[in-house]
Amino acid sequence: MADAPRFDLPTIEAESAEFWAGMREGKLLLRRCGDCGALHYYPRPFCPECWSEDVSWQPACGKATLYTHSTVFVNDLPPFNEQVPYVAAVVDLEEGPRMMTQIIDCAVEDLEIGMPLEMTFREVTDEVSIAVFRPAGA
Amino acid sequence: MASHGIKDKVAIVGMACTPFREHWDKGADDLLIEASQGAITSTGIALDDIDAFWLGTAQTGMSGITLSAPLKLTGKPVTRVENYCASGSEALRQAAYAVASGAYDVAMAIGVEKVKDSGYQGLNAFPIPNDGTNRTLTAAAMFSLVAPAYANKYGVDEDELKLVLARIASKNHFNGARNPLAQFRKEVDVDTICSAMPVAGRLGVFDCAGVADGAAAAIVVRAEDAHRYTDSPLYIKALSFVAGSGSGLIDPDYDYTTFPEIVQCAADAYAQAGVSDPRHQIAMAEVHDCFTPTELVLMEDLGFSERGHAWTDVNAGVFALDGELPVNPDGGLKSFGHPVGASGLRMHYENWLQLRGKAPEDRQIVLDPTRPYGLVQNLGGYPGEMVCFMSILGTEPG
Ligand SMILES: [Zn+2]
Repeated sequence: MADAPRFDLPTIEAESAEFWAGMREGKLLLRRCGDCGALHYYPRPFCPECWSEDVSWQPACGKATLYTHSTVFVNDLPPFNEQVPYVAAVVDLEEGPRMMTQIIDCAVEDLEIGMPLEMTFREVTDEVSIAVFRPAGA
Repeated sequence: MASHGIKDKVAIVGMACTPFREHWDKGADDLLIEASQGAITSTGIALDDIDAFWLGTAQTGMSGITLSAPLKLTGKPVTRVENYCASGSEALRQAAYAVASGAYDVAMAIGVEKVKDSGYQGLNAFPIPNDGTNRTLTAAAMFSLVAPAYANKYGVDEDELKLVLARIASKNHFNGARNPLAQFRKEVDVDTICSAMPVAGRLGVFDCAGVADGAAAAIVVRAEDAHRYTDSPLYIKALSFVAGSGSGLIDPDYDYTTFPEIVQCAADAYAQAGVSDPRHQIAMAEVHDCFTPTELVLMEDLGFSERGHAWTDVNAGVFALDGELPVNPDGGLKSFGHPVGASGLRMHYENWLQLRGKAPEDRQIVLDPTRPYGLVQNLGGYPGEMVCFMSILGTEPG
């Protein structure tokens, strides 16, 4: 299966290398605009509010709340086909930006909209880690 | 804002729709020939009488040659259009504008998708490279995100909402059981739907549209010429289209209980047609029920139900075949499956039958002069990132 295509890996480019390096170090890097102060995610080379290119990295604190969710029981794309069921979710970071992610360590019946979450990291490969969330204080 | 519209300037004068099936014995060529032959027979014209062609398909072909080759067209303008799952409706939109402009007298809009034998299971996602920040959710999961958000916003118990969604699926299967062209032609009860294999969130297999091959076609002419072709034309009252900016996916203000693109598209369509009270002026609607939560939210976005009340209207049977405002009387995507490029024209085909009183007796809706309009709503994409087409149709000009 070494050559099987997989659909969970990013193409790491110059612009996003630092973001993915942050993930490996256990940091979710947001971007703050030096001109208008807006925070954004996913990271872009300019501020989506005012188009300023004066943007710098700011690690997220790791707190979030659950906005909505879906437990995925069927997904044919590798490697997700071997991970089902998993909980996909839309979460609101404490800093404001919204993020699509996964919830771990939580039974489906315990998922509740608005529940507090805390960030943790999952190592996908040697190069790639991703931020996922679990119930706060779990 | 919005469109000037082409109200009553263009009429559909012939239509056809193939059975939607797993057509293991037919390719796209066969389906295109069957739908186009049906449409020209329905119009009483020859293929050579058609001046221009628009083909809607998402993945079955790249250019007009996908149509001109099987139809052996020579010297004709043939264009392939693509706009996600609204590709078939987009073909109709282009054909209608072409005759309205006077550039052509007779145009064909045709849509096809050959999904089976593609080497993929289901409707495979478009293979767009991404940087890893794109979602990796299935289509069912994306639309299932609506259910918890809706339940939370309006205080509906999630188990009750599951039943509401099952009633939508059961209603559409009831209608599809009365349609020989549908892929699934059996009634399915709420208990069966609720106990089916889970797919995503609270959605089970019966909350999802199927996968089928199919084609459908329409012939359009300028309204003043319509009676040269048929005694019962179907006039186009409105055509609207909205492509969202895709910002919903990262917008913390997007709440997953409405599709803003559809609200905007509906406002444009209703303005063009002069519809002020859709709940009481629309005779029937064919809507994009790709997953049951989609149809629920559409009832509010189209103005059929007040915000937060579509679920009670579903429970009251408002959208049933014998209800106040039948929705998906042909069985919808639920019963037909979703051959992407064909679905939009399939929705028009049901309006073509119903509004002219030509649907089979066991699913013909009651025609009421106070409700002179039929409606098609056909979307592509996902919550937060969507395109929407709408048309409004009627049998009387003016
Ligand atoms: Zn800024």
